[in-house]
Amino acid sequence: MGTLESLLLGFSVALQPDVLWYAFLGCLVGTIVGVLPGIGPLSGISILLPATFGLDTTKSVVMLAGIYYGSQYGGSTTSILMRIPGEAASVMTCIDGYAMAQKGRAGAALCIAAVGSWIAGTFGVLMLTLIAPPLATFALRFGPPEYAALLVLGLIFLAYMSSTSLPRTLLMACFGLLLGTIGIDNMTGHFRYSFDIAELGDGIGIVPVAIGLFGLGEILSTPSATVVGKVIAPRLRELLPSRREWRQSAMPIARGSLLGFLIGLTPGSAHIISSFLSYGVERRLSKQPQEFGKGAVAGVAAPESANNAASTGAFVPMLALGLPTGPITAVLIAALMIHGVPPGPTLVNEHPDVFWGFVASMYVGNLMLLALNLPLVGIFVNVLRIPYAYLYPLVIMFCIIGVYEVSHSIVDVWIMLIMGIIGYGLRKFRFDPAPLVLGLVIAPTLEMSLRQSLIMSNGNWAIFFQRPIAAALLGLCAALLALAALSLMRSRKDWRSRLAEAETGENP
Amino acid sequence: MTLRSDHIAGGAFVAFGLLVFALSGDLPFGTLSFPGAGMMPKLIASFLIAFALLLILRANESAPVATVAWRDLPHAARVVAITAAAIALYQTLGFPITMALLLFALTFLTERRNPLVAAGFSIGVVGLTYLLFTVLLRTPLERGILGFQ
Repeated sequence: MGTLESLLLGFSVALQPDVLWYAFLGCLVGTIVGVLPGIGPLSGISILLPATFGLDTTKSVVMLAGIYYGSQYGGSTTSILMRIPGEAASVMTCIDGYAMAQKGRAGAALCIAAVGSWIAGTFGVLMLTLIAPPLATFALRFGPPEYAALLVLGLIFLAYMSSTSLPRTLLMACFGLLLGTIGIDNMTGHFRYSFDIAELGDGIGIVPVAIGLFGLGEILSTPSATVVGKVIAPRLRELLPSRREWRQSAMPIARGSLLGFLIGLTPGSAHIISSFLSYGVERRLSKQPQEFGKGAVAGVAAPESANNAASTGAFVPMLALGLPTGPITAVLIAALMIHGVPPGPTLVNEHPDVFWGFVASMYVGNLMLLALNLPLVGIFVNVLRIPYAYLYPLVIMFCIIGVYEVSHSIVDVWIMLIMGIIGYGLRKFRFDPAPLVLGLVIAPTLEMSLRQSLIMSNGNWAIFFQRPIAAALLGLCAALLALAALSLMRSRKDWRSRLAEAETGENP
Repeated sequence: MTLRSDHIAGGAFVAFGLLVFALSGDLPFGTLSFPGAGMMPKLIASFLIAFALLLILRANESAPVATVAWRDLPHAARVVAITAAAIALYQTLGFPITMALLLFALTFLTERRNPLVAAGFSIGVVGLTYLLFTVLLRTPLERGILGFQ
């Protein structure tokens, strides 16, 4: 059976009223999960997993996947309106989305985020349908040295693109990597820095750290007395971006979609990493990089597109190979296994209705999300009407519930509070907490890859230069570091340092 | 010499890096051919200390520490204290009571809002959130010893 016939079979499943209903329910809940700060897709899916036990496999996985990609849509709302990421992948959207909101372009930012998410999501499903198998095969050629090199490249790339100095960014990344080493060592079983607290055995979760640093940290740095209570109340037609804004968002959406999908194929929290990288790429390619941080349209369009495309890309190794690329896809695999359907190469042939029904439902789901999010943008904008003195206690409440509900661990909530205090301190000393989160996310994979590589080579570091893909990736790292050093030696002030000065107000 | 913010920040990170080394004493570094559980933390802590020292060396580029504004500290301290109290009580008192107290404390004690409005807001928001989670999302919230779901 060809791809087209298979896809038609999928649509015949996905367009059944009951499957449509569960896709809609998943998208709606996902949007709410994304909008509410503190409740990420992982906690949303985990909380609702038991509710799907009574459903058949297709409905179950369609609904849970709807929560996942729906949360990517919804996550942009609180990022743009409140500078609080609804979930970790929306961290980068906070920067320019919130700046646009402060300029009175909140509606336009939300609209661009929704349309960008839809285009990227649909593009991602199209890629999943057409070229997923060869791409997945290429990603499978990555062994531990390649993964280690790729993750180091991700960190260097982020540091190079960052508006703060290279040492500051790498310092934050190291801090995150160190936090990521807390817990049981997977290779030897040693407890590391757990101080006899059982909950720390599993390590520090991304949710409490991200919510603490970006949610609570922001609240602590913003006394309500300093918040001007001016309410933006745009009408529906004012929510539409201008022609200029559409033009400015077109290419970032396209690049973000492509980059996001490719990163989505690799393990790790790809939807988070892709939003960081696409933001950096846009700032690098922009003719006006100084606009980033002050409400650049590309700073909203690119990361929002990238995280949606990455969410879809993550389904490729999950469905075709049975490999989870992160905790969310791991939970989705668990949902399939509970229903007696093992994901992997046999899924396509033995359960074509499940595989293609799921793929087709994602086309439909993305349309549903666009239809849900655009008309509701006006409702979301109304969040700004709530006085800040009432709004931030509400956010703190949702942060506590969201973090607690992930694993019913009060230790996680304490970690969130500690991270909030650290986030407050980092802001005072002009550190960007984003690399810290990235370091925490990639720490387990980086450590495992590094140690496996050394074991494979019997302790010879040359393994990273003997394998072509790893060598090429490390070559890129060296080139980026050389470029950073060159700009430092030449004039000491390239666009990044000028941007840093502008952001800190040292050189207005 | 003017004490600058990066002197303080760099110093704090050097101290943190050294603390990691001190706490890693019982973690085996292993060998290069079979790295132990302590290899990665010690490697990263070394990098952290190196970057922190670099920050201290270039501290002249940062603002004098006296110019760091701490006007928001009393507000932040109040919010932290109230949130910490709520976290400490959450599993004991359960969701409805703890969160109503949290919201009331933040709006009335920290923000000095009208106590009746603050109480109405707190009870209303907690009621709606309770309905959202337990009825719509069918997710039980923390019961607490008083038996509230």
